[in-house]
Amino acid sequence: MSHQALLAIAIFLFAYGFIISEKIHRTILAMIGGLLMVACGIVDQETAIHHIDFNTLGLLIGMMIIVSITADTGLFRYVAIKAAKRAQGSPVRIMISLAVITAIASAFLDNVTTVLLIVPVTFSITRQLGVSPFPFLISQIVASNVGGTATLIGDPPNIMIGSAVKELTFMAFITNLAPIVVIVMASYIPLFVFMFRKQLQTSEERKRSIMELNVNGLITDSRLLVKCLSVLAVTIIGFFLHQAFHFESATVALAGAFILLLISGEHQMEHAISKVEWTTIFFFIGLFVLVSGLVETGVIADLAARAIDLTGGDPVAASMLIMWMSAIASAFVDNIPFVATMIPMIQEMGSMGVANLEPLWWSLALGACLGGNGTLIGASANLITAGLAAKEGHPIRFLQYLKYGLPLMLVSVALSSIYVYLRYLA
Amino acid sequence: MLTYAFNPDIIYITESNNDGDVEFFIRFVVEAPHLEKFKEVQHYFEDNEVYTDALFYAYENHEYRVIVRSDYYVEFVLQLMKHRLVEQVQWKE
Repeated sequence: MSHQALLAIAIFLFAYGFIISEKIHRTILAMIGGLLMVACGIVDQETAIHHIDFNTLGLLIGMMIIVSITADTGLFRYVAIKAAKRAQGSPVRIMISLAVITAIASAFLDNVTTVLLIVPVTFSITRQLGVSPFPFLISQIVASNVGGTATLIGDPPNIMIGSAVKELTFMAFITNLAPIVVIVMASYIPLFVFMFRKQLQTSEERKRSIMELNVNGLITDSRLLVKCLSVLAVTIIGFFLHQAFHFESATVALAGAFILLLISGEHQMEHAISKVEWTTIFFFIGLFVLVSGLVETGVIADLAARAIDLTGGDPVAASMLIMWMSAIASAFVDNIPFVATMIPMIQEMGSMGVANLEPLWWSLALGACLGGNGTLIGASANLITAGLAAKEGHPIRFLQYLKYGLPLMLVSVALSSIYVYLRYLA
Repeated sequence: MLTYAFNPDIIYITESNNDGDVEFFIRFVVEAPHLEKFKEVQHYFEDNEVYTDALFYAYENHEYRVIVRSDYYVEFVLQLMKHRLVEQVQWKE
């Protein structure tokens, strides 16, 4: 192994180790790691910029702008309260409704935004019902990670995979991942009810107070809502058709975002752009450059060769290895840097003769997205929800979450393994 | 303790204990402009960083229930005063 490759590995492990320790913000570490790759001459600036996937960044920025404007209309509060009324104030049915809404919203928005929108309404509903918000928050965390697995735009690992592999279109993600996501969610609902049934008791009077809520007035700006929903619908249709028109998904998302800004008025722009999570965007930039050092020095190619040796080139073994390794790794470390490292490795396996990469990509997507449910630190949505809950006096402890999250994660990965085997490998 | 007084020809307010928090029941006798002022109070609490300081629930006939965390009781009453929904606030021994 060359001196440059060893240096690249040292920088990568240094950055990765500190990211896991969470002592310094992950964005600062990824950016410093990426800059060290350039400063040490492992990659030159032009190569580093070439490795930054602007499609991933554009897609994230575009969707964040659309969602931030839509959130201001009161839509999400309206939908949640309406669902609670339809559930006739029953805590069990409300928990299920909110989990399903979270899963569907997470498929088309990003997970973090979805939980940021649904958690405040959850506090409001559970306070009215006089029940603990804990079962609702856990089911929403889990549902956000499961729902996000269904589409190309639902979860960062999918955005990265879809962007790196042009054949994996928006439609391909839905047709290949949505069926297993539906199966996993359907299997989770009775498990949620079983796990939390004792914590979901309330009085008839409190149920009635939910039923009597007036939803009129929850939509704060109906004209803006019509514009947002129209643009969101056109954008999602655009995702379905982007390959037919030879557009990248980032072009669709950014077009949607800036058309919405055009028709909703300039006064929305400052607020909407300030709501873009720039720390996440810079985290991605740093990671792409960090991983480029491993790619350019041949470390990733070496890892791919070892993975082929380990599995003997057998697609079943390779798929299962990738899925379970991704799930376990994603439960304990951030799945974004993990997927950023795995993508070039799987591509390299393709160039080394592994003919059918499709099951490997779906195994990576399923493992990385569903694995995030395993622990409280497994995904951004988990940490954000735990942070909000702690601030409001309902802390979610690591072990307390693990008791529910880990078994649920294992169930979903086991179901996914059967699905991938039967659909692609049997 | 903080006490307040309101004009019952405009607004009617009662409060009770709800699991350690204070639950306000508010009914508007006269809608304009007081209802808009009340929405400004709601906006104030919903737009800040704390989600559970004051939770607002709307019902038919301009009736509202507000569950206020005990540590935000004073702030809530002062917001009502600021928007002239109560006429008087006073500290009493």
